[in-house]
Amino acid sequence: MTAAIFDGIVIGLRFGLLAAGLTLVYGLGGVLLLAYGQVTVISAVVIIFAMDAGIPALPAVGLALVAGGFMGLVLDLTILRPVYRRHGEARVLLSLLLTLGVAFIVDGFLNWRYPLLGLTLRIGGGPIEIIGVRMPRGSVVASAIAIVAMVGLLSFFRWTTLGRAARSVIEDQEGARLVGIDPHRMLRLILVLSGVLAALVAATQAMVRLIDVRSGFELTVFALIVTVVGGLGSVTGALLAGIILGIIYAIALTYIGTSLSLIILLAAAAITIVIRPAGLLGVRE
Amino acid sequence: MTDRFTEATGTSVIGGVERRASRSLWRLVGPVLALGAVLALVPLRLGDSRVQMGVAVVGLAFACYTIGFNLIFGSTGQLFLCAGALAGIGGYGAAILADEVGLPIPVSILLATLVATLTGALLSWIAVRRSLGVIFTGIVTLIFTLSFANLLLGLGNLTGGESGFLIESGGDSFLRRQIPPYYVMLVIVLGCLLAHGLLRRSHAGWAFRALRDDEVAAELAGVDVARYRVYAAGIGSAMLGLTGAVYALTEGRVSPTTFGFAEVDVVVVVMLAFGGIGSLYGPILGAAVFTVVDELFVDLGQLRLMAYGALVIMLFLWVPKGVIPTLSGLWRRRAGRVSPRRGGSPG
Repeated sequence: MTAAIFDGIVIGLRFGLLAAGLTLVYGLGGVLLLAYGQVTVISAVVIIFAMDAGIPALPAVGLALVAGGFMGLVLDLTILRPVYRRHGEARVLLSLLLTLGVAFIVDGFLNWRYPLLGLTLRIGGGPIEIIGVRMPRGSVVASAIAIVAMVGLLSFFRWTTLGRAARSVIEDQEGARLVGIDPHRMLRLILVLSGVLAALVAATQAMVRLIDVRSGFELTVFALIVTVVGGLGSVTGALLAGIILGIIYAIALTYIGTSLSLIILLAAAAITIVIRPAGLLGVRE
Repeated sequence: MTDRFTEATGTSVIGGVERRASRSLWRLVGPVLALGAVLALVPLRLGDSRVQMGVAVVGLAFACYTIGFNLIFGSTGQLFLCAGALAGIGGYGAAILADEVGLPIPVSILLATLVATLTGALLSWIAVRRSLGVIFTGIVTLIFTLSFANLLLGLGNLTGGESGFLIESGGDSFLRRQIPPYYVMLVIVLGCLLAHGLLRRSHAGWAFRALRDDEVAAELAGVDVARYRVYAAGIGSAMLGLTGAVYALTEGRVSPTTFGFAEVDVVVVVMLAFGGIGSLYGPILGAAVFTVVDELFVDLGQLRLMAYGALVIMLFLWVPKGVIPTLSGLWRRRAGRVSPRRGGSPG
């Protein structure tokens, strides 16, 4: 049981990190990025190519983080331009459809050019023992990175001026504009940030299991579900939802088969949304 | 909310009463029958090729899926991202009832359609009761889609798991021959089209438009928003389930990818957005165009997905309202008429 809970936390931290970027972009800009999983996959491809070129793992991951941020910037400067001109529901729908198109292009290209590419990062050394439970070293390292990233993210939003400015846009766009914060520049910053987070997910995910060029859709869908369960726009909510869903999934997995565990995970998510449409930590508009 | 995505195709609710009264039933039935007559000629050209007839049947099935989705999303603003799963309930349901339980084919189709209808209505009821917005309804139904897909895998001995199974029932009936499935499907398309058209003309149609334009105002004006949403979802789901069931039986096999999210839902959204969300003939145009485009791209292999993506992006950048509403807008401006032909395709 303890082992299952630990596994759940490992899964949950990854879910949470994955959802954090998506939730920020939605909370700040009312934009749903359906190409989010594809950003992660491209980052993984960057790591693969960098390591093939003889670059050690750590700088390769650094390169991927830069690439991820760059992709966020590119999305902001190109495909999201027309989205910003709309408001409310039309904006969400247009962003959803346009980024779906981007996801198709990326998936199509990767499947055509590099159908067999996959990334796993092996962390050397044996399993680590934490309160009597032996965990694979890769999972522990991945979770540690996720925790550090989450703490960094939360302190950025709590204590830095830039982070507070971003939060003020989430809470009240007009109000933020009135005190001299440019919502569009904030949004650009957050898109870059979420691109970096997506790339970080590529690295941590690869320490636990394989990422191949077909993982994009699945990653996006899980990020979306965790985001909504946690409450759109809430990073803490995403983390909490990720860990809760992760634990539910891991416990189900120890007793029953994979596909039924997934159904239990999905049912838990659906019930949360139906009972609390605003999400665990979201504020209902 | 003038720039809403699902904007009505230019019809204003005020002052529409007189127009509607003057319009006879023939203005709906006439074009539908004409469309049916044109589509009925397709096998004369393609009838020799089994492959091309197969493609045509798929195209018609997608037209039905899109009409059903349009009724749910276009008419009442409920983003049901489970079109494939509802069709799958029809398809798998009919196949299992006919093969495993041994019911006659028409009975199994009816029962499976009923289950799909109730499922859709239930999902809508939950969404309405909890007043979930567009995106939340989308997520809940997406979760339903994923659960359905996992259920198919989990119940492997009943559903054949990943590879699906071959349907034995009806193997020697006309459903498996080359040409008849096309006409069966065509009848369903015309039936769905007429049903949707009649609904739009009835008081339900007024309620749909009212609640889509401004939900709160509609509620205040005495429109029972909840009831009409659930009705629309039920009828749309019935169309999806029926089509799925009939398609599965004509195809002779079902598999998770027959009703998958990427294979059905994404395509249906694209087809509807191309034709025009909320318009009557939009689904037909969308299904026709994308079935042909799909065939043209078939040699491209994986590049097909890229081309699809590029097409989707260009489409939503340039004609975000959909082709039919855009064209009828242009037509109206040229003709200088104030009153539009709602949803009708000019020419």
